[in-house]
Amino acid sequence: MSADAAPTGDQPRREAAVGGGERERGTGTLRTLLWAQTKKRLLLMYRYPLNTLTGLAMTFVFFGVIVFGGRAVAGQALTDSLGGIIVGYFLWSTAIGAFSGVARSVTQESEWGTLEQLYMSPFGYGRVMIAGIVVGLLESFAWGGVTLAFMLTITGKALHLPVATVAVLTVLAVAPAVGLGFFFGGLALVYKRVENVFNIMQFVLVGLIAAPTAGVFWVRLLPITQGSYLLTRSMQQGLRLWELPVGEVGLLVGTAVAYFGLGYAVFQWMGARARRQGLMGHY
Amino acid sequence: MTTAPERVSGEREAAAGGGDVSADTDPALSVRGLSKTFGDGDEAVRAVDDVSLDVGPGTVVGVLGPNGAGKTTLIKSILGLVVADEGDVRVAGADMYDDQRSAYARVGAMLEGARNVYWRLTVRENLEYFAAIGGESPPAVRDRHDALLDQLSLTEKADTPVNDLSRGQKQKVSLACALARNVDVAFLDEPTLGLDVESSVDLRREIRRLADQERMTIVLSSHDMDVVQEVCDRVVIMRDGEVVADDAVSDLVDVFRMFAYRVVVQRSDDATGAAETAGGGADPIDDDARERLRETYEVGAFERRGDRVAFEVTLGDPEGLYDLMDALRAADLVVQTVESVDPDLEEVFLELTNGEGSVAAARADGGDSQ
Repeated sequence: MSADAAPTGDQPRREAAVGGGERERGTGTLRTLLWAQTKKRLLLMYRYPLNTLTGLAMTFVFFGVIVFGGRAVAGQALTDSLGGIIVGYFLWSTAIGAFSGVARSVTQESEWGTLEQLYMSPFGYGRVMIAGIVVGLLESFAWGGVTLAFMLTITGKALHLPVATVAVLTVLAVAPAVGLGFFFGGLALVYKRVENVFNIMQFVLVGLIAAPTAGVFWVRLLPITQGSYLLTRSMQQGLRLWELPVGEVGLLVGTAVAYFGLGYAVFQWMGARARRQGLMGHY
Repeated sequence: MTTAPERVSGEREAAAGGGDVSADTDPALSVRGLSKTFGDGDEAVRAVDDVSLDVGPGTVVGVLGPNGAGKTTLIKSILGLVVADEGDVRVAGADMYDDQRSAYARVGAMLEGARNVYWRLTVRENLEYFAAIGGESPPAVRDRHDALLDQLSLTEKADTPVNDLSRGQKQKVSLACALARNVDVAFLDEPTLGLDVESSVDLRREIRRLADQERMTIVLSSHDMDVVQEVCDRVVIMRDGEVVADDAVSDLVDVFRMFAYRVVVQRSDDATGAAETAGGGADPIDDDARERLRETYEVGAFERRGDRVAFEVTLGDPEGLYDLMDALRAADLVVQTVESVDPDLEEVFLELTNGEGSVAAARADGGDSQ
């Protein structure tokens, strides 16, 4: 037997029942799965209203502290770099949402006792997670958009907003954060209590987004850094995707795919290890 | 009964229970040589040891065993949630390890009791979600959900968040979610744990209905012998990772039946008259008679009840009952009642899991000859 074979495929089949004629099942598709994840997420947000609203409020308050506190301390210097701060903050809040959406969901589902149910989906646990991530990214973009509007309003700053370019660059910039989420989610499958790592990641992401890219090539190979650089250029200079250097975009795509793929591979590997050690349902 | 554990053979498995595997019916669940060891070296623990089972459609199988016997690891290994070291599992023909996606389309499981569901979602929202991730379009199984809610007395709670339900109701929601789509085999780990009587009865009734009407195969683990004895067609008893018995509940009880009887006697009128002449108030069975009975038979304690005495006696074979009657008559005793003392599943379980008993030994002792 190949012990670690993961479920694959995109649509459950209709099969004959054993010893009892045709057993009807399996009319759902990936769209069904995506809709189910979206509905669950929306319902949980609605049923945990305080959590949802305080999360958004904290994002606004934290930004206010940075801008107004920074102005008091750094004055004109902060005003000059406000555009970069707004873009960086938008990217940070989106990346945190994407990272947490993956990493925390593993520990949450484990605590709720539903992780094994998700694992037993005929769609495959990977697809269930990815559907959840797609929903999480959309949610992150929504909150990121609201946060961006808030930031532009209170600072009076104007930025270029080529929507398609910003959307594509943000997805590619955030993909490594999703990969990191998979990585730490995988660790959580085996080691369970890794919440402190999640908290540290908030600061690590700030460092990655703010890392200086000029003249130091290897820094651009770090997760999110290249995305942050290109997104800032696009939104401050009004550059569209095709107006950006091909090599720069290629590097962004390369780091996005590499970190996402690496994180997903680690997640699958740790999942197989958790199953070998009988840890899947532990919390 | 001191022999080593011995599994009941596949021949008996085929004969066990109402819906078991026959030559022309494929098993709904087939497990072959499943083994799982945790840890290495001196600390290695053999949690599941070479377990094989075939279960036919519409059969309810109870998995019993003391804590640490390997019940949960067996179920999770069958489900691929714990990767077995050796062995094969097929669910309704699909290989659990090589074609997991197809296998998961055929199974539902309730593994964490009331924790198996989202407490902030309503009952119906949970059903729809678990149907969807199980590969079923929720509108297509709406009728099934209505029927499940009705059977489990949850219709009025359909739009209530699970968090607001009682423990028993949460447990029922968990069961309903495991069955939210049409599956061939359902695994239920301690489905009645912590339930009140009414909820437990509802659950038992629903489990039987699913097996009898929907031909669903159900594997349940439980510490509640009453549930297993009432609901299951067949029982698998585990000890130290091994299956030490696998048979129909009634057959297992038969194997451990030991020709035990509860006898109530009274002194004959003649003997009573003589005793009264001699001073009266004497024990219905005098010391000599007790001693002779103890020398000849395996007799339990004598309980005096007014002018009567009750005791339990275990005989070597049913014919011994005639000899006992003669012995009692010789002691001037009149038999008032004789009742056969049948073991229940709990006694069988204790016999098999206390480290001494085995089905083979019980059969050799003659229990199977009845």
